[in-house]
Amino acid sequence: MTASARSARIVDVGRPTRRKPAPSPGPRPRVTAPYWFIAPYVLLSAVFLLYPLAHAGLLAFYQTNGPRSRVFVGFDNFAFLIFDPIFHRALWNTTVFALCSLFVQLPLSLGLALLLNSSKARFKGFFRLVLFSPNLVGQIFVGILFGVLFTPRYGLINRFCQALFGWGLEQRWLGDPHWVMPAIVLTSLWIWVGFNMIYFLAALQSVDNSLIEAASMDGASPLRVLWHVTLPAMRQVIVFVVVTSIIGSYQLFELPLALLPQSNGSGPDNSGLTVIGYLYQVAFSGGDLGLGAAVGWVVAAIILAASCLQLRLTGTLAD
Amino acid sequence: MVGPFGENVSAHFPYGKAPFWLLVTALVSGLLLIVTRRSPEKRADMVLTTFTSLHSEAYQKVIPEFERAHGVHVSIQLVHQQGLTSRLQNALLAGTEVPDLVELLAGSMGYFTAGPLEDLGFTDLTARVEQEGLREKLVTSRLSLWSSRGHVFALPHDVHPLALMYRADLVEALGIHVEELETWSDFEKMGRAITRDLDGDGVVDRYALDLPMSGGDSLVALLLQRGVGLFDEQGRVTFDDPRATDVLAWYVRQTHGKARTATECGWGQPLLKAMNDGLALFYVAPDWRTYMTQTDLPNLRGKMKVMPLPAWEPGGRRTSVWGGTGLLITKASQHQELAWELAKFLYLNKPALGARFLATNIIPPFKEAWDLPEFHRPNPYFSGQPLGAIYAALAPSTPSVYGSPFYQLAFDKLGEALLRASAYYDAHGEAGLEREVQYELAQSADYVRRVAERRVLAARDDE
Repeated sequence: MTASARSARIVDVGRPTRRKPAPSPGPRPRVTAPYWFIAPYVLLSAVFLLYPLAHAGLLAFYQTNGPRSRVFVGFDNFAFLIFDPIFHRALWNTTVFALCSLFVQLPLSLGLALLLNSSKARFKGFFRLVLFSPNLVGQIFVGILFGVLFTPRYGLINRFCQALFGWGLEQRWLGDPHWVMPAIVLTSLWIWVGFNMIYFLAALQSVDNSLIEAASMDGASPLRVLWHVTLPAMRQVIVFVVVTSIIGSYQLFELPLALLPQSNGSGPDNSGLTVIGYLYQVAFSGGDLGLGAAVGWVVAAIILAASCLQLRLTGTLAD
Repeated sequence: MVGPFGENVSAHFPYGKAPFWLLVTALVSGLLLIVTRRSPEKRADMVLTTFTSLHSEAYQKVIPEFERAHGVHVSIQLVHQQGLTSRLQNALLAGTEVPDLVELLAGSMGYFTAGPLEDLGFTDLTARVEQEGLREKLVTSRLSLWSSRGHVFALPHDVHPLALMYRADLVEALGIHVEELETWSDFEKMGRAITRDLDGDGVVDRYALDLPMSGGDSLVALLLQRGVGLFDEQGRVTFDDPRATDVLAWYVRQTHGKARTATECGWGQPLLKAMNDGLALFYVAPDWRTYMTQTDLPNLRGKMKVMPLPAWEPGGRRTSVWGGTGLLITKASQHQELAWELAKFLYLNKPALGARFLATNIIPPFKEAWDLPEFHRPNPYFSGQPLGAIYAALAPSTPSVYGSPFYQLAFDKLGEALLRASAYYDAHGEAGLEREVQYELAQSADYVRRVAERRVLAARDDE
């Protein structure tokens, strides 16, 4: 830049602004770079999301034997699901698991988060790591581990129960239909309580302390502070955790598979069968991808409905 | 990054620094991939895939002889059983690369036969079996396992006759004479007498028999011994046969209630611990299980024995069958004749079958092999009993097992019927048990029939 040009710019800045004349209408230069940037995402989404979705929608009206043979059956796949007792059992099991996630797992996570957030708590980092660590090893590992712990007569949990309560040495946690779901829930608590606790802990740490102090100074008990100040301030995070927990519960698959390997995750009398486990059985073991697609759509509808209901009840949609 | 003239190259990249470094990373990784790429190994002329290291190791020893004789290179792949089944099924249906020969477990055959025969990715061996006279040379019942709609698709690897394996040291110390246990009724009486809490802590420490509470393979084997399969030759559901009611009711009485004689020892380490502790004295044992026991529990050497199964009625069948492996040739193989030669070489090569028996305790279905000295050799682990001769004597009486695309479903529903009947027995005892068993069996069988009727694709070949 030359000295005259620089001084010209200075002079220009000092002048009152005057609107430049509109550019003459002509062809605008085409900007293509943004399209190239989003192209990989759009392409991948189209190939691995949109196409499979559309194909699954179509497939749900066919009976198939793998991808090669198919025959159009209309709504027969959906009609079969309506009357299939095994699907009902799978749906019931998954719903029970989802309810346990909501009403057992999340309160426990919140409780632990409150304990760790307390100013009196020591070794916070250590406990945070200990409680979160089961999540690092994966569901298959945890499933195999608990499969050993639940072994009748020789399992650690059975031995512990016998020593403590004089009961449980021969308890068949994974062999008795009544005990399979409690065993799955117990195992899932070990994995997920610490995981959700981290979310709650982060939310608790972002609550404005001055509100809590003000409420305490006004004489509110700790319980009232929690109910009227802390929890409302955490609402967004709670809604997020609840919605993801419901979605995760309806996608439960690996844990029962690892806990109940002899029955491919179904358990005795299908007591451990989940909707995704059912989908896997009909689509990949049975080869009927059409029925599998129908199950997939039903599960998607349930998750969507449950999530919408949740958002509506908490007023998140209005926000 | 500084360019050759000292300028900052990344700052001048038109789309910014991040895309610039992404591009650099992509280029460097791409170059590394090209530079470090290994030259492919010599491609095999034929590939055989199996799911067990026992078979793989045995074949590795004899394959060079076949390669020399035919001037080809054969590769053996070892793949986990579950992975093998699902990946092979998907590969066959999608038309991607598959091995020339593959060993499968009998239970997985249903996955492959679910659709029309034209979709089945395996070569029909029926004509070859007839041509070689294998129906006479092999244990006939074993071909049923590998047949679908009248066509044979595999050479059977084994017979897997069933016997009872027992802790001879404990059984003899209790004064039990196993030759007197001719029927399951005799066995039940003996079981009631010896099942007890030995240390008075309220927990039973000694049972007569190891039986899974939910049925599983043991229940199916006992039904087969009684002459009831899950399906018949035509693929019809048969497990609600009236004879099945007796078996199920007996099974419920052995596994539930105060007078039970059986416990579930499980699998793997718990099973070994239970055997070692003498928790159950008798174990349902196909030939393959005897080898696992002698390998995994060496300290019981000389303390174990085997005996034929007690019969369901005096003079009845003293064995059953559990499991099975078969060798199949894929339709996609470019070497159909050579693959068949290899299958015969591995399964019907009499001199090699003696060594294979010693390495596995598994009885081959090729009857001529049973005369080999290896089958009559005393086994020191089983107290000097000639294990091969005992199992070979049982082999011709093994019942036929018919596969079906709905086999797994029927297997599961049978387990359901057992569990519900057991729950009834726990609540109401003996009264009405047989009626309840019959009802549950009928319910389960009807469900399988309904699902089978719905599969219009599988029915295409029958039309």
